[in-house]
Amino acid sequence: MSGGLAIVPAAALLVSANACAELITGTDADAQLPFWEWRAPGMSLRLVQRLPDQSRAFFLARGFSRADVELIAQACVFQTVFKNLSPPAAPAVIEYDLRDWVAQAGGQARGMKTREDWAEVWAERGVPQSARIAFEWALYPTHQTYHAGDYNWGMSVFDLAPGDSFDLVIHWNQGGERHTATLAGMRCAPDEDATAEATP
Amino acid sequence: MTMTSAEGLPGRLLYAFCCALLALASAPAAAEPAAAQALHPAQTPRLAPDFELPDLDGQLHKLSDYRGQVVVLNFWATWCPPCRAEMPSMQRGWEQVKDEGIVFLGVNVGEDADTVFLFLADYPVDFPLLFDAQAKVIEAYPVTGLPTTYIIDPAGRITHRAVGSREWDDTGLLDELRALRRAP
Repeated sequence: MSGGLAIVPAAALLVSANACAELITGTDADAQLPFWEWRAPGMSLRLVQRLPDQSRAFFLARGFSRADVELIAQACVFQTVFKNLSPPAAPAVIEYDLRDWVAQAGGQARGMKTREDWAEVWAERGVPQSARIAFEWALYPTHQTYHAGDYNWGMSVFDLAPGDSFDLVIHWNQGGERHTATLAGMRCAPDEDATAEATP
Repeated sequence: MTMTSAEGLPGRLLYAFCCALLALASAPAAAEPAAAQALHPAQTPRLAPDFELPDLDGQLHKLSDYRGQVVVLNFWATWCPPCRAEMPSMQRGWEQVKDEGIVFLGVNVGEDADTVFLFLADYPVDFPLLFDAQAKVIEAYPVTGLPTTYIIDPAGRITHRAVGSREWDDTGLLDELRALRRAP
């Protein structure tokens, strides 16, 4: 192995990967919207707010009715990127399941709204198949296995309202070890349409 | 917010030192291939599910007709940012190996020919783009997120997978494809 692992002293190995993790927040350069990013050795998870109007535009263009689009716009949507950053010299498999993740808001714990949850909603509402296909693939995978260099990019939806604040508790397995982290102080993008309507 | 349990300045310094070393351990050495271009090898190569899909001109492409060649099978959509990001490098990679028995096939998921035609004005692509309008093929592989790319060897077996975009004109990555083409 020619990587840096060979020179890591035992003391460093006593510091767990999660202990070296950090939550970074700021404004995403591309979206110009707030982001929350959890960085730890070998992985990163970045969540960027998506405005309700962005959801409206995206899904109206893909065959959803205005009424159906409002179901998405009035939820809490983040653009999500989860990366396996482990190097070839020390590859680690990462697995997660969104059904394990919890949004804590107002003393309540809420699960995420996954592709499977939405599929039931769209089937009940008779949404066209082409729109359902676009929705399924636009949403973040419910569970995934990442090898070194792998990542996904997609929307994740929380059962919260625009403007709500919450703490997100995430779990993942990395190299056979279970990890947990809390992304505190997250906030759903506000609905500027609703804000404008409420303003006299 | 940085998570630390070390107390006092000496503890914090030791903590910072250890974290820096862990970060170093996670970083690739200069001589190693970048993880971002890694293809994950299948532990047990399996036969790729066969399919027949139309391209932009309505011409049908059957996967099994490409036996004897290496196939780079990319599932994508125009609205998917990493799919768009890797398309130019796929074109460049294809240009480099198209005469070496290596085929690139892009399988668009759930969109129509008009949408892809407009996309091609910004992202010119000359290798075949196929249409999986009902998302049946993508479910058969199965794929869980876009983009996902499978490498299929000349015997029709899936040998590698990449989830997320890659730089498909990366020399090391193209050499892996060439090695598959030459493998007995």
